[in-house]
Amino acid sequence: MNQLVKGTVRNRHPFIFIAPALLILILFSLIPIIIAFVISFTDMDLKGLADWSNISFIGVENYTNLLADTVFHKAVFNTFFYVVIGVPLVIFFSLGIALLLNYGKNLVFTVFRAVYFMPAITNIIAIAVVWGFLYNTEYGLFNYLLSLADVDKVPWLEHPVIAKLSLILLAVWKGIGINMIIFLAALQGIPNSYYEAAKIDGAKRWQILLFITIPLLRYAIFFVTVTTLIGWLQFFEEPFIMTQGGPLDGTVSMALFIYQRGFQFSEFGYAAAGSFVLFIVIIIVTLLQFKLRKADDDI
Amino acid sequence: MKKKGLVVPAVLAMGLSTALAGCGGGSGDSENTLSVWAMGEEGKLLDEMTEAYEEENPDVTVDVQAIPWDQAYDKLLTAVASGNGPDVLQLGTTWVAEFADAGALLDLTEHMEDYPDFNLDNYFEGAQTSMKYDDQIVGIPWYVETRTMYYRTDLLEEVGYSEAPATWDELKDAATKLSESGEDVYGLDIDLNDQITPFIFAWQNGFEFDTENPDFTSPEFTEALEYYTSYFEEGISTTSEGIDIIQAFKDGQKPIFFSGPWMINILNDQAPDLEGQWAVATMPAKENNLSSIGGANFSVFHNSEKVDEALDFISYMNEVDTQIEWMEKSNTLPSRLEAWEDPKLADDEMYSVFGEQLENTKGAPPIKEWEKVAQELLSSIERINIGGADLDEELESFNEKANSMIE
Repeated sequence: MNQLVKGTVRNRHPFIFIAPALLILILFSLIPIIIAFVISFTDMDLKGLADWSNISFIGVENYTNLLADTVFHKAVFNTFFYVVIGVPLVIFFSLGIALLLNYGKNLVFTVFRAVYFMPAITNIIAIAVVWGFLYNTEYGLFNYLLSLADVDKVPWLEHPVIAKLSLILLAVWKGIGINMIIFLAALQGIPNSYYEAAKIDGAKRWQILLFITIPLLRYAIFFVTVTTLIGWLQFFEEPFIMTQGGPLDGTVSMALFIYQRGFQFSEFGYAAAGSFVLFIVIIIVTLLQFKLRKADDDI
Repeated sequence: MKKKGLVVPAVLAMGLSTALAGCGGGSGDSENTLSVWAMGEEGKLLDEMTEAYEEENPDVTVDVQAIPWDQAYDKLLTAVASGNGPDVLQLGTTWVAEFADAGALLDLTEHMEDYPDFNLDNYFEGAQTSMKYDDQIVGIPWYVETRTMYYRTDLLEEVGYSEAPATWDELKDAATKLSESGEDVYGLDIDLNDQITPFIFAWQNGFEFDTENPDFTSPEFTEALEYYTSYFEEGISTTSEGIDIIQAFKDGQKPIFFSGPWMINILNDQAPDLEGQWAVATMPAKENNLSSIGGANFSVFHNSEKVDEALDFISYMNEVDTQIEWMEKSNTLPSRLEAWEDPKLADDEMYSVFGEQLENTKGAPPIKEWEKVAQELLSSIERINIGGADLDEELESFNEKANSMIE
């Protein structure tokens, strides 16, 4: 024991360096998570917030209520709908665009790099206003273009399934930029000698792409998949600003459900239970990915 | 998409604010500073009003904090959690019950006699609802708003109405005729996101909101909702967001709608060419022509150390003359009955309609679950209008849910 303390003191420098990060992590992440976990077993509401003696432990009631809550069922279904369709689209398009942009270095490519990155740095409120106009059933641009081709008005945000797809379209458009930059950086990190060797061996373009570029992008693809998946499981901003969860709860996501319960109806205990379910889903999905990835490494 | 662990920031805010509660009260730095929280536009304008008060009371400085509406609720939550709030706060009438229930508002009952301006009879009957919670007096109405009917006089004339429709039947008839007058014309616009509109119809049909155990399957309520949803079923109102109401009103696509007093200025600003072609009228009647009353109250935070100063300030703001001055500055309607005798309001053709309507109003029921109940009803209505659900079944299940929400 004494030995251990002495050893720690002697090698204190690394600990001092990670201490600030660790402290912040504990203070702003771990402790709140633990408190939220405790709250999820209480009936905490506004009254409880004002005076803690009004809070009482109600066991797993919040969780059993969640399981019976039809809106929560819809939120779970919608979230998986978003993830299953949205995540592959984001990865496919950001990788595709990165590959195309990597073909050249002249002005056109630079300009388009900026164009594709623009949505990622645009304020979400501005996006909501513009897309709200685009999606408007009566005078929106999309419906106007469709009317030129004699297509009937599409209720972009007013039909449960179409509204979900509209939000996915918006989120994909917004999500491409940042992932594209990650892919571009990874692409530029591939040594040119591989390509030269391939060319000397007479490899065709698609062979180079399939057997050199993609395998060497493995780490980037894995990183983008994990972060995108976590991001999409917490799908929030788009339904929050565009539809507030409607129509018929068709666009409510788990994160939005939690927000509404917690900050609109002040049911903090219930919202905490919801956020814990989401937390566990995210952990399971992420662990699953690491597991699959390990299997991939073994080959 | 990026909203990491929503509960986390909330919990953090709670924890931090409790930790910081020890350091300094919320009542500003100096002993004679009265801190006031006001929301939205009013918050920005209130600062100009306090100068006159400070001149009269040189030993008091009023520190107004303007809080945007969309942050107001969070800000109030934090104040409640930390017990670290202002001395005086402006509170939207629908929030009163919730915060009063949490014990955030000081009971003013014992001070009522000292301040004649606070007398309940000074205010509209509907507004008195928001002053009380249980047996306490928790707020003094500052300004009020009510819903009336805006309509295009010229278009209604064309379908044979030289006066505004005065009954439910006339409204339905006029709206139907207007809808038939052209493609994409919706005779009556009903805002589906507005929480109070279904209740306005229900009140007009004689429904009483029993705050203990309301009956939403009663014939009065059911009939009102049948009337409300029939507009959507028959295509007289649209469920789709469509064109902005101002533009649609201008184009004649939505020639009738219900809204509050703020719309007068918006219409004057954004549709100046329309002048003389539109008017406001009191609500069409069934059993009665009740409308809702809303607005904002002044309350004193429960642990304020400057109760007397706070009450004095509120009393000053609620004097008839100050209210008139405030009305001119902010275009909000005064809560004091006496203020309405002023020719600026009584002789104005628009405002006098609001004055008349205000006599016949009810406030949102003073229950802390109001927001939840109202939102649940909107979901039910959405299922009927868009999802094609059966009205009676929906009301049955809404009734069950609402009653389980209300403790």
